[in-house]
Amino acid sequence: MFQSPDRDDTGESTKRKVLVVDDEPTLRLGFAYALSSRTTTVETAATGRHALERMAETEFNILVLDLRMPELDGLGVIDALRSHGNHIPVVLCSAALSPNAALHAVRQGVVDFLPKPVRPVDLRKVVEFILHPERQPFPQAMRAARSGRRGEAIRILREETAPSPQAASWLEVLVALHEAGASCNKELVEKIRRNLPMLNFNSCPPP
Amino acid sequence: MLRLRLFYGLLTIILLLWSVGAAALLLMQDNVTRFDTRLRVDYRAIDAAQSFRSLTGSLNTNYLPRLAGPPPEQPPNKALFDKLKPDLLAKIEILRSTENQEQHWQGVVESLDQALGLYLSGYEDYFSDKAVDRGEREKLLQYMATQTQRIIDLTESVMTLSEERLFSGAARLGEESGKNTLFVVTLVLLGTAIAALIYFQLVRHLVDPVASLHRSIEEIRKGNFELSLPELGRGSEFAVVTSAFNDMAAELKLRRGKTDDSLSRANMVNSAILEAIPSPVFVLSDDSGVVQINPAAERLTENLGVIGRLPLKIQRILDDCRETSSHFLPDDPREALLFRINEEEFYYLPRIFRFESGNGSQSGWAVLLHNVSRIRWLDDMKTNLISTVSHEIKTPLTGIRMVLHLLLEERNSQLDEMQKIMVTSANEDCERLLATLNVLLDLSRAESGATHLSRTPMVLHDSVARAALTFTSAAAAKNVELQIDDGGKNFPEILADPIRLDEVMNNLVSNAIKHSPQGGKIIVRQSKPDAEHLRVSVIDQGPGVPESCQSRIFERFYRAPGQQVDGVGLGLFISREIMRAHEGRIGLRERTENLTEFFIDVPIA
Repeated sequence: MFQSPDRDDTGESTKRKVLVVDDEPTLRLGFAYALSSRTTTVETAATGRHALERMAETEFNILVLDLRMPELDGLGVIDALRSHGNHIPVVLCSAALSPNAALHAVRQGVVDFLPKPVRPVDLRKVVEFILHPERQPFPQAMRAARSGRRGEAIRILREETAPSPQAASWLEVLVALHEAGASCNKELVEKIRRNLPMLNFNSCPPP
Repeated sequence: MLRLRLFYGLLTIILLLWSVGAAALLLMQDNVTRFDTRLRVDYRAIDAAQSFRSLTGSLNTNYLPRLAGPPPEQPPNKALFDKLKPDLLAKIEILRSTENQEQHWQGVVESLDQALGLYLSGYEDYFSDKAVDRGEREKLLQYMATQTQRIIDLTESVMTLSEERLFSGAARLGEESGKNTLFVVTLVLLGTAIAALIYFQLVRHLVDPVASLHRSIEEIRKGNFELSLPELGRGSEFAVVTSAFNDMAAELKLRRGKTDDSLSRANMVNSAILEAIPSPVFVLSDDSGVVQINPAAERLTENLGVIGRLPLKIQRILDDCRETSSHFLPDDPREALLFRINEEEFYYLPRIFRFESGNGSQSGWAVLLHNVSRIRWLDDMKTNLISTVSHEIKTPLTGIRMVLHLLLEERNSQLDEMQKIMVTSANEDCERLLATLNVLLDLSRAESGATHLSRTPMVLHDSVARAALTFTSAAAAKNVELQIDDGGKNFPEILADPIRLDEVMNNLVSNAIKHSPQGGKIIVRQSKPDAEHLRVSVIDQGPGVPESCQSRIFERFYRAPGQQVDGVGLGLFISREIMRAHEGRIGLRERTENLTEFFIDVPIA
């Protein structure tokens, strides 16, 4: 367990709590440093098991999770959490997200993918995006999808008149997932694979 | 010489012919003449003898009856007697002059002469009229009758003798004609014998050499150069032919020997080469039969259970080659075919090429199976190594990058000028290292699964637009204008994997920006080069690719020498792999107007 370098002890009750899980010490350090602020406290865990233990003790607002870890990996952590009825928003960080992993994650209500290497700006943005979604269709749709309301997410995205490429990709994937139900066929995986770059949080380069 | 012999032989026959003919003619002529002479002589004798009868008859008839009666008053007319007497004397002269030396004939003619003398003297008495009385007259008559009878008898003898002579002459003639026949037959037999001799001579000197020449030619045709023709005598026309033929046979034998030598040497060299080649080699005729295989090929086919035949997978490729009449010479070990031998995997890269003799009369196919199992294994190892190492480096690098970014943000503490320069530099290095690692990861992905595409109908322009959007900032940083020329927009959809196509597009645009001069212009143009493809051309105003490197720029890790721009030399290779998997094309157009044009052709859906 690493303490956030700029941990602020004042007003702990109002502070957002973020748990960063990564097996790379420097990254943990960086993530914690990037996210810590007056309104945010960051805790870190080196392994999936450690993270689960920690989450059983304390409630967190958001989980920044590395996909590839020894022993229990990111998907394993998500599965464990969901099986315990914990629907905490998860940011999945990965250097190489496979279509199957993405499918697995989306089904578990994880829709925020942040590809490594992560820029601090993006990290802060995604936390903000999840905890304080704007009143615009896309953030709202993602919020619905995050909480498992896939139908609502699809409806919102469909209503958008000029969807961004990112929104269009998400719509396609969510519709496909909705139609496929619980089954997993090759076409679905292919569709996700094709749209995968656009599913990343920072897929649209800054104008 | 033979000509002379022939001439002499035929001359002999002709002479013989002439002499036989002449002899026969002469003999016949001689016989006829002699017969004619004898006939004439004997006829005269007989004629003369006959004349005695008639002459004495007419004398007697005229004169003698006067003797029978009383003596006439008038004396007998002597005119008739005078007229006939010379005739009689002439006849006796004829008989006397007849060439007959026989005693008997001489005696008869003498007697006839005497008798004629007596007869004529009787008539002398008659005309002298000495006999006047009856007695004397009768006596004279008697005497005349006796003499007449005697003459008749003698002429009879003469005639008989003449006839005998005639007959004996005919008999002698017959004898002589027999002799003549014998003579002619002998001559003919002699001619026949000479002809036979000439025939055998001709056969010996003319036919035999030709026949033996023929036999020898047959032998030589069969390849037996040992047989030589016997030397003929000097001067024979065939002697020239024979010696020429023998010379020719010797020459042929010598050449054949040389050819055999060089052939067996070439064979030996070939076998040695084939045996020395560790790769299985098959040589096939044009109609698919295996002509020759080397020991390595024997072992391979034995292990595969297709002894002496081409494995089916390769046969199929060969059939394709035959149809298109083209070589199949792949270089990429990934095109190798997998063979399982005793639970082990072997990769063989088939190289198939057609060969033809200079004049095109001989042709066939050679198949060489290059064992690339080791190369494949090493290649896989390398790919895995690159992948693993890249990942291992990338993970801590992301942490380093994170930290550097945070430092540069200067959220909580300010860096001094020097610190800032150093961290910025470190961050740039970090970014470059990451980019390189990404390319390496792309490579390992391309190599391990470039063929795995998810192709779907898509609009080419979307991919171009995405690439343009991605590189807007990079282009702006170098003050390069990115111009999209969509060629009218109404192109059909293409069949491609959008992500992989984007990779290619990004690579081309990024290369163009890298090599563009400051403030240059890049044109990304779409066109339709043929019925089955759409083309994207990325045209820049950079220095272009040196001609010597143009053929190699699509190779792995190849970088044109003296490159100032960053890179590891994989972008174009990966792009080529992706385009290949798309059954499309990628290439570099010839440089015109100082513009460098790379293009890709994507199949239309």
